[in-house]
Amino acid sequence: MATAVPRTDVLLTLMGAPHSSDLVTSCLRMAQALLERGASVQVWACGYATMLTQCSLGATKPRNLAAWGTEYPSTATLVGDLLATYPDTAYWYGCRFCGEDRGAASHIPGVRVQPPWRFADHVASAGTVVFLGVM
Amino acid sequence: MADWRPALAIVEKAYRGAVETQFFDALYSAVELHRQLGGLEVLLRGAAASYAVEAPPVPTLTIGGRIVDTLNDARHGLRALLDAGVAVWVEEPGLAALGPHTRTRLVPGVRRVAAGELAGQWSTYRMVFFL
Repeated sequence: MATAVPRTDVLLTLMGAPHSSDLVTSCLRMAQALLERGASVQVWACGYATMLTQCSLGATKPRNLAAWGTEYPSTATLVGDLLATYPDTAYWYGCRFCGEDRGAASHIPGVRVQPPWRFADHVASAGTVVFLGVM
Repeated sequence: MADWRPALAIVEKAYRGAVETQFFDALYSAVELHRQLGGLEVLLRGAAASYAVEAPPVPTLTIGGRIVDTLNDARHGLRALLDAGVAVWVEEPGLAALGPHTRTRLVPGVRRVAAGELAGQWSTYRMVFFL
């Protein structure tokens, strides 16, 4: 049975790749700001953005040789925190094709994987759609 | 015979992901390249010229219930490079694009260079690459 798509105020479509600009940071900041104000938000991650929530990233980034005792949260942890903090209003989806095409098939709990042909349902379910970057 | 000339790393693409990069940005990797290659110089140009200008501390971000206070800090990275003995250059046009007062707010130890000036010296380096 197809996963029901929630109605949200905003859909952030994260198309751009991480590690190339501050696009992911902007996406998380926008989501946070909207959620803090009581809006509901869904993020659809496409392309290399599907790699942000892989289980294999673990809770933290690899150690910093120059600051061995400092822990740096992984992007998977940050997305997980967002979903846990706003369980009723925050949603994170990953495009199945893009993820599998890049070896990102296993995601943290809370992240839902959708086939690309469901994207139109997500657009239709959002009051406002914002595209961030290009694949 | 060993080639002891330094390598030149050109950094011109900046701000490549605060939350996903955190400490591991181009400047962090430059410290390791300096060690492995036996000497490195860094040229900041374009948007990366802003790394050479003093700025307030990097702000924290709140994501979910977490305060993220480990975002990447280019000035810290530059100081680590300088402490390691890396010569750091910044191109004038990149600074000028940021405003008239940037020349007086450079991170101590960073040296200004005219546009294209280092390009004329590429042959004096062991290798030249973009980072």
